[in-house]
Amino acid sequence: MTKVPLPLKVNGSDYYVEIEPHRTLLDVLREDLGFTGTKESCREGECGVCTVSLDNKTINSCLLPAVAARGKEIITVEGIAASEELHPIQKAFVDCHGLQCGFCTPGFIMSAKALLDENENPTEEEIRSYLAGNLCRCTGYNGIVDAVKQAASELRKLNKV
Amino acid sequence: MITKDKEKVQETTVVGKRLNRLDGPDKVTGKFVYGADLDASGILHCKVFRSSIPHGRIKRLDISKALAYPGVRAIMTAKDIPAHIRYGHTLKDEVVFARDYVRYYGEAIAALAADTREIAEKALNLIEIEYEPLPVITDPEEALKPGAPLLHPDWKEYTGNPALIRYDNVCTHASIDLGDVEKAFEEADYVFEDRYTSQMAHQGYLEARAGMAHVEADGTVVITSSTQNPFGLLGNLSEILQLPTSKIRVISTGVGGGFGGKLDLGVEHFVALLARKTGRQVKYLWDREEEMKAAAPREGSVIYVKTGIMKDGTIIARQGKVILDAGAYSGDDTVIASVAALVIRGSYNIPNVKVDSLAVYTNKANCGAYRGPGAPQTYYAIESHLDKIAEKLNFDRVELRKQNALKNGDLGPTGQILESVSMEETITKVVEKIEMDQPRPKYTGRGLSCAIWTSAGGSSCAYVQLNDDGTVVLITGGKEIGTGAITMGVAQIVAEELGLDITDVRLVTGDTHATPFDFGAQGGRTTFNVGNAAQIAAQDVKWQVLQAASEKMNIPLESLELQNKKVYDKDNPTTNISLAEIAADRVWNGGPILGRGSFIIQPTEYDTSTIKGGVYPVFNFPSFHTHAAEVEVDPDTGEVTVTRYVAAQDVGFAINPTGAEGQITGGVVQGIGYALSEEIIYKDGFVLNPNMTDYKMPTIMDVPRIETILVESSSKVGPYGAKGVGEAPIILPAAAIANAVADAIGVHIHDLPITAEKVLKAIKQKQDK
Ligand code: FES
Ligand code: FES
Repeated sequence: MTKVPLPLKVNGSDYYVEIEPHRTLLDVLREDLGFTGTKESCREGECGVCTVSLDNKTINSCLLPAVAARGKEIITVEGIAASEELHPIQKAFVDCHGLQCGFCTPGFIMSAKALLDENENPTEEEIRSYLAGNLCRCTGYNGIVDAVKQAASELRKLNKV
Repeated sequence: MITKDKEKVQETTVVGKRLNRLDGPDKVTGKFVYGADLDASGILHCKVFRSSIPHGRIKRLDISKALAYPGVRAIMTAKDIPAHIRYGHTLKDEVVFARDYVRYYGEAIAALAADTREIAEKALNLIEIEYEPLPVITDPEEALKPGAPLLHPDWKEYTGNPALIRYDNVCTHASIDLGDVEKAFEEADYVFEDRYTSQMAHQGYLEARAGMAHVEADGTVVITSSTQNPFGLLGNLSEILQLPTSKIRVISTGVGGGFGGKLDLGVEHFVALLARKTGRQVKYLWDREEEMKAAAPREGSVIYVKTGIMKDGTIIARQGKVILDAGAYSGDDTVIASVAALVIRGSYNIPNVKVDSLAVYTNKANCGAYRGPGAPQTYYAIESHLDKIAEKLNFDRVELRKQNALKNGDLGPTGQILESVSMEETITKVVEKIEMDQPRPKYTGRGLSCAIWTSAGGSSCAYVQLNDDGTVVLITGGKEIGTGAITMGVAQIVAEELGLDITDVRLVTGDTHATPFDFGAQGGRTTFNVGNAAQIAAQDVKWQVLQAASEKMNIPLESLELQNKKVYDKDNPTTNISLAEIAADRVWNGGPILGRGSFIIQPTEYDTSTIKGGVYPVFNFPSFHTHAAEVEVDPDTGEVTVTRYVAAQDVGFAINPTGAEGQITGGVVQGIGYALSEEIIYKDGFVLNPNMTDYKMPTIMDVPRIETILVESSSKVGPYGAKGVGEAPIILPAAAIANAVADAIGVHIHDLPITAEKVLKAIKQKQDK
């Protein structure tokens, strides 16, 4: 099959790949660019483990042809921390036991980031409704809700300074 | 909320604390490597060609076109496997590739290796097959009828654990006989009988099974996969590969959820065989459809339960028949049948018990271990049945449970003497918290369920290596699968013993050539068993440290103590030496310090005359549990919403309360899915919903915040008094929710899952009456 050239911007850096046009952003991120922090599970938009941010909107990267990400800003879980330190959301997932096997965690972190970008002080109900596209089979979700709450309060403090 | 054993006051600095798990930072940054992330240059991709019908004879299988497809490197079928090779958990009845016959929809027929995943997928479609369809048996009760066609006409030739009782389509028949049940039914004031059925359910781990393999020059096969049980795979691999176990190395990588589903072979034998055939490294990642059609789900079941009870509420007899729908091969149901048999009596002191528990072959995927195997459906049956009895006789359902609850010194179902029993305490606490007696609006209900549960035994080993900077490496064949058992529990035990911080403990786990034996991440056993082995190893290190310090400081050993990473002279604390200094010194003087721990649970004593054909005859260091659910039912749609959920669990001692609570919340939510929505739906032997859209697992919107109560009734043998924790939380939600739904609508539903359709139908039928 003929390949198409595709420049991609991931976590602030520029990449260039040549790919078959039907390939998903998920596969290109994981297989061609080595961003394996973004996970693969259902490949049909049901579980959210493949969630990444595309121009500040979260998408299921298993459903998006990579070519559709041309010219857009892609952020993955590897790219959300500004420095070596964990991002406050990442830290909160560790502190609040918001993860067990961790396979859903990158997706939840990306969705939580999008939520907190929109709403700096979400209620438990708002958190639950925003995260309904991400499945977790291990935690029962208590720790995830707690993590988002802690992260929200941390981020509010940071934003005030 | 935690309640402590009054007498037991332990001064600890690391265990018992809510510390963060060690693998957290890697998991939140995407650095953690799972089986699905494995890659290597020049790797080949495996795909498996699977049966498209539930039962039939293979008339023609032609792989030539697929083999000729550019980029395909090898295809293997039954022809490549010696005909005598069958493998299995307790009974060797399974084949690597279907030979002449397929017995379930999704059974492996061929495996191929190709340059890319896409080529592999395309080539799969070029394999040609013709079947002669055979009659399909999907109902285990049909399979039991005299004259039913035999799924395994050669069953007598299969080898397995000699304790198993087998006949016709029955691959296990375990039975328990305690007291005199016939006589007790005659004496009982009332006798009640019910029948319950339950569905097949998937573990639902988000990381599909994955792994890869290569072959070393001397023929050693090296397999890396997301297995929960690296040592446990060696036996079957050795038979399939015809290699001694020592020439197979299984390395377990990060596991993206297991819940029992990754205990047995899934990818490992296929990649090993293909790696050997091609001389290349081969990787296999299952897709979701394969997971739903051919993994190792929880079996469906039919359960009959009969109870004899006196006017004063004393239960004097319990009889049960459990029929497990094992699927095409026995899988783990040979063991699960025994477990279900133990559970039928429940957490009550019933003196007369008779159980027959059968695992039966049908034309479905063979079933495996899923967290709390055999228990959720059995507790659902007996606890629903008990609520019905309470209603009919006008007993208070809480008091009836308390009255009959197991107590210290009572006998278990096979005659073991029970210790550290906290049944009543768990009931009292849950009932109080959920406010069982508070008035409730129409179509709202509350339900309760109680359980006794086991923790698997087996042996575990650990080394603790003291590093020259005073930190340690814990080296064990045990495996962290997400529960926190090792990255919290065992690490905390090691840190506690040596006065370290948890972050001073590094972990090397789950590699059959690099780490010492462990019986696998199963049965809630890791913190208990690996914890014990690691505790012994850490104590060994401590002893060696004190001895080295004694020599170096010229102070008798008894006068020394290890604290704050230093060895002190107790009488003169200003005289001290750091752990790091001792460790570094020993590298060149006297030899590096390495601690060693090997642990096995002594088998629990029981009355062997009470059980026949049982390969899991007794509860190990049992724990006790009560759950309560509050539900709202929408009378127009039948939809059930769980509005509150409270679970009390006796954990013995919570090595990390946050970790223990996380096990409970996670298990409960999985159990809510099992209760209300999850089902692998079969029709005429075909799976109708092999995807996550139609296999409905609970999202964060579907469940309330789970409320947990940790009860600590110390066990004699567990580290610091801990009991097994991880499995039990899933065994009670179906029972509690079923009882809550019945409380809400006034009808008991006898078939899991309790879907909106079933509820609506029940409401309608009640109204029509
Ligand atoms: S893998 Fe993309 S939503 Fe599941
Ligand atoms: S932590 Fe395992 S799926 Fe969420």
